[in-house]
Amino acid sequence: MNTTNLTLNLNRIKEQYPENPIEYFRDKTLCLFKACLEKYFPGVRFGIEDLLLDLGLKVITCANQSCCSGTFFQRNLITRAQFGAINERNLSEINQIADILLFSCNGCYNSLLRGREFLNTPEVRTKTQKILNRLKNQGTGKNYSGKYEISENFKLKFLHDLDFFYLIKNTLLNALKYDLKKMKVAVHYGCHYLNLSRDKDTFDEYLRPKTKLEELITLFGGNPVDYQERESCCGWGASQLVIHPKEALKITFDKLKSAENVGADFLVTPCPTCLYTLSKPEYRDKMQKWYGEKLDIPTIHLNELIAILRGCEEERCITLRRKTPRIEEIFERITQ
Amino acid sequence: MSEKSDSDWNWDFYEELVDDVEANKNIIQCISCGKCVGDCPASKVSNFNVRKVISKVLRGDKSVLRDSDIWYCYLCERCKRVCPKENINIPLLIINLRNESFKKGYGPKYNDLRKYVEMSERFLKTGVVLDEPLGEKLPPDRVEELNEICNFARIKYVFKASKMNKKSKKNSKKLPQK
Repeated sequence: MNTTNLTLNLNRIKEQYPENPIEYFRDKTLCLFKACLEKYFPGVRFGIEDLLLDLGLKVITCANQSCCSGTFFQRNLITRAQFGAINERNLSEINQIADILLFSCNGCYNSLLRGREFLNTPEVRTKTQKILNRLKNQGTGKNYSGKYEISENFKLKFLHDLDFFYLIKNTLLNALKYDLKKMKVAVHYGCHYLNLSRDKDTFDEYLRPKTKLEELITLFGGNPVDYQERESCCGWGASQLVIHPKEALKITFDKLKSAENVGADFLVTPCPTCLYTLSKPEYRDKMQKWYGEKLDIPTIHLNELIAILRGCEEERCITLRRKTPRIEEIFERITQ
Repeated sequence: MSEKSDSDWNWDFYEELVDDVEANKNIIQCISCGKCVGDCPASKVSNFNVRKVISKVLRGDKSVLRDSDIWYCYLCERCKRVCPKENINIPLLIINLRNESFKKGYGPKYNDLRKYVEMSERFLKTGVVLDEPLGEKLPPDRVEELNEICNFARIKYVFKASKMNKKSKKNSKKLPQK
């Protein structure tokens, strides 16, 4: 399964620090991988950044990081070797300055794991190294040795925000000012968290039902609701929404409708790409036009929700973000 | 229907794909159970059918490259998770088939890719897909590296095609000028 050995071993941390897993992170530098869609939802970045700072952890971003380029790979615009090289460049940069790499986007998380996975194929690895050699020869990377070599053993470990929040849930709970007041919450994991094998060590972990989001919602005083389309795709589908919008938005519609049907007050997701799809007003309008019903269920990113629950200023949570139906209502209901 | 008879059956196509991406060798384990189709978002809204795609590949039927079906895959990896066999990487097979389709000229035409022009351009000029990212920008000399990595990639072709398209728009009197 996980031949890349890139993800943080959460079980080991729980064994080492059964009472207080946050202690593991005390002497570590945590880097936030910058997701492109944070531009539309700044609270996704602020939500985790502010929390980490408040917990007294060392948190940084990497100036030399580029986008993950997953969108181009998934659309056949770059090869596996080129994707691998973009990935290695980012990884070697971040590995120099951090111990843990945190992801607020399923897309980035999948990309960085996948880029590394491709290097297990000898032909791809050779081609990737050739590309990296070209960079080396051009001189931009002469500053330190090993920069453009494919590293066998990174000290850097990957950690998805959702896994992090779940790991430190007791500390997190103590940091909250408000609770969810028994609100009904539909959870959406996103395909590249739900269906991912790359970050798992065993088949058991891969196949077992995922419940971390529901558990967190319960812990926050909410009421996670089961709904028929819980595990379905948001409709983005590696840009299907751009290429075949009518078909893709049917999937989005069914998902949101199914959450509304069980009376969910809002939907929460740990992925900004899913959030973009599920919340964009233009898409809601199109769904109404094509499928005859206006859906107004608010949707929110887990990091934004945690920021609201912690009592952060509205600007650090949702003010600056792309508008979603009734999003302020959720803010007001929680903070009143 | 493009059903092939027994006499047309051969391994050539399968072997070509395995040559290109070794992981594709595992699709031979497919037992046609259809779990992948039952749980597939694309199958709910289009004619995309993983079981058919795999059976065509195993029969040596290259018509799969011409069908528009493969372009409906959501790459959600659900099929990979529900597949009862080990290590059949369907999403990677689809990406591989799309690549072959592209090479043969059956892939999306420029028009289908126009939404990628701006993203490609921004990525190659700034290192990010969307404008004005939060926080600091990638230094210009590091952006150069991305250009070097993407040499000869389709991402550059999309970019050039957009320029050609703008020119041809200017030259064409039929199209309204913006």
